[in-house]
Amino acid sequence: MMSTLNKKLKAWPVWMLMGLLVVALLAVGAGRQSGPLTQEDRIDNVTQRLACPTCDGESVYVSQAPSSQNIRNEVARQVASGQRTDDEIVAFIESSFGGQVLLVPRATGLDALIWVLPIAVLVCCTAGLALTFRRWKREQGGQASDADRALVAQLLELDTDPTDSL
Amino acid sequence: MLAVAGVSGSLGRAALLIGLVGAVFGMFASVMGTRQHDEKVLRLVPRFATLCVIATVSAFVCMEYAMITRDFSLAYIQKVGSKSTPALYNFTAVWSALEGSILMWMLILAVCTVIIAWKYRNRLIDPLVGWAMATMFFVCTFFFMLTLGPANPFGKGAAGVLDGPGPNPLLQNHILVVFHPPILYVGYVGMTIPFAFAIGALITGRLGEGWLLETRRWALFSWGFLTFGIILGGWWSYEVLGWSGVWAWDPVENASFIPWLTGTAYIHSVLVQERRGMLRVWNLSLLIATFSLTILGTFLTRSGVLNSVHAFSDSDIGPYLLTFFGVIVLVSVGLIGWRGEKLRSPGTIDSPISREGAFLANNVLFGVFAFVVLLGTVFPLIVEALQNRQLIVGEPFFDQLATPIGITLLVLMCIAPVLPWRKASGELLRQRLFWPAWAGIAALVMSLGVGAVGLAPLLTFTLGGFAAGAALRQLALATRRQGLRGLVGRANGGMVVHIGVIIIAVALAASNSYTRSQEITLTVGKPAQYGGHSFEFVRFVEEKDDRRISVKAEIIIDGSGTYAPAIQKFINVGQNIGTPSVKSMFTKDIYLTLQPPVKVSTNTAKIKVFIKPLMMWLWIGGGLMGVGTLLAAFPGSRRKPTDPVSAPIAQEASA
Repeated sequence: MMSTLNKKLKAWPVWMLMGLLVVALLAVGAGRQSGPLTQEDRIDNVTQRLACPTCDGESVYVSQAPSSQNIRNEVARQVASGQRTDDEIVAFIESSFGGQVLLVPRATGLDALIWVLPIAVLVCCTAGLALTFRRWKREQGGQASDADRALVAQLLELDTDPTDSL
Repeated sequence: MLAVAGVSGSLGRAALLIGLVGAVFGMFASVMGTRQHDEKVLRLVPRFATLCVIATVSAFVCMEYAMITRDFSLAYIQKVGSKSTPALYNFTAVWSALEGSILMWMLILAVCTVIIAWKYRNRLIDPLVGWAMATMFFVCTFFFMLTLGPANPFGKGAAGVLDGPGPNPLLQNHILVVFHPPILYVGYVGMTIPFAFAIGALITGRLGEGWLLETRRWALFSWGFLTFGIILGGWWSYEVLGWSGVWAWDPVENASFIPWLTGTAYIHSVLVQERRGMLRVWNLSLLIATFSLTILGTFLTRSGVLNSVHAFSDSDIGPYLLTFFGVIVLVSVGLIGWRGEKLRSPGTIDSPISREGAFLANNVLFGVFAFVVLLGTVFPLIVEALQNRQLIVGEPFFDQLATPIGITLLVLMCIAPVLPWRKASGELLRQRLFWPAWAGIAALVMSLGVGAVGLAPLLTFTLGGFAAGAALRQLALATRRQGLRGLVGRANGGMVVHIGVIIIAVALAASNSYTRSQEITLTVGKPAQYGGHSFEFVRFVEEKDDRRISVKAEIIIDGSGTYAPAIQKFINVGQNIGTPSVKSMFTKDIYLTLQPPVKVSTNTAKIKVFIKPLMMWLWIGGGLMGVGTLLAAFPGSRRKPTDPVSAPIAQEASA
């Protein structure tokens, strides 16, 4: 009695309902606005996307170098004026400071490889795994090799040893 | 005075030479003794290992002696020594640049070698151990050569130097410099041991059950230290660097993280081998990959091809490390091609929906993760080589790819723990995952209740609750059966590690997504408000010694407790270093930094306040991972070691 109830409780329909509940809750949470961003929060968001020009791979956000301080000040000015969106500020900094200030490679030319290769590797690995499972499925209950037979014969021979109590 | 100084350099160099001789002889003794089954020769092996360790310890002591006595006749002391460095940071200055770091590597490697040699001295006649020892000595030989050649810590310096700049200011600023580098190095160098056993297994074409367990335990040991070292590194970054973060996807950080990823893949998939005897060649490949990636990482970060905040020096050891890496990869691939077929097991894995299947999916994800981090790290080199232009791959790239991979790993952590071996049915999963899934829903409702927003963090919290539910379910079942012993063993200790990982994932998601910050200019006597907290500036405190001038701003948060973010100017180096001050609470950290310019004569201070939710849980999760690793290192009680692996185990109570 108890166990059938238990079974019913944990059956497909209940799981579907749970899934729907999660999707609905996630939609609510993902859709709603967080508290208003302060100017400082926006400066942090923008500077996290910009590279410090003098310090090898650190972002302007992380770096304490004077060159980063310059860029941070410029970003702060742009944010304070309220004219541009975050993306436009990034583009503006890129055009006015020149050089390599973006921390994220573009998705064009050779740079696109850095986005394509991970996906390619994931697809290859997954496909490889799937093929291996298929091969395993075919091989199940497969044929014994000669080496296997020899091993069995050897063990059977041992087994006939009268002193072996097993 | 100079004569004495010369002595410590010459003694150190002589010690390293003796060590090299010991390593070469040890290697030959291992190979000859193993090939000719000569026990007499093999008995010499532990002695050569002892010689190596005595030599390296002596060299290290010489280095410390030179450091402590400020022996400026040595180039290395001129580089990192200073009369004004306090004793503790002077002691740690030995590993503050390349040559000393390689010396410390050598020290740990020699200790590993001697432990293995003496622990298995009665089994040296086993060719697998003999070849493993030969491999250990081979790696020792290479590193002794590095310390005698391109990374020579005992080189003579320019004459007439009476003082030096001291170590990089970041390396004389926080107590963690004593712990983080050595612990990380133990993890890094410790990976040599499982690698040596992997090579031994490949050469002999034999993989006994016993050696598998030993190899797994050593891999787990190194993995534990690597994990702990990485977490300490994050903590150090948080306490010292002043941008309120723990991880910047810097090349040096990545170099430690990539082997950690492949090592994590190994400690999972080796369980398939223990249980089912399968994936032998794959597991050996993972061990070899892990070790060779430590060498590649060292090459990338220490040769100057990539620069980073952590790479505290450049040198010309690059070609040596790259050659060594190439040799390891070629030999290993050759051995796998030669012996792989012999080791391969005939069995098959029945169904992808099984614990074996989950471990394989885990391996795919960790493999892809390692690839992504490696690709992002070396991509600037590729672009520079092909198109001769500079490119930076920074945090946003890694974050964008690590987030989906991390979330997928969490999905796996929800399901995998309850999966049985061989084959699972949908109904079984629905039964076992029912309450863990509700734990996930509860976590989601709770995080919505406290105002969480955003899809990625909410997914992390939901899956975190789910996965924690699954892990707790396993622990509850195990402790119900066996009491407290149910917490011990690889599977159950592993569940404790999982809970630690989940806590870290949740803390990272919360602190990365919801950090808020504000610059505030404070005037004495006028408290300011931000994020529901009050900040009151009391005064500047100026401290001065031979080494640095430090200005602290004393700030009272919420009317009680004084916090003092500081800016220190290191006189010898002429560099300003900000030192943050953190108020940690269970729900959030308040992280203060003092912003330049600082005018001590005025009564205003500009500070930046970061409010970071759940930061403390990062360290709690890290601690739990350490505890879980210890629990996993002890043999569990699920199966007597004498039972064949195919024997049935006690059935789990149906949930």
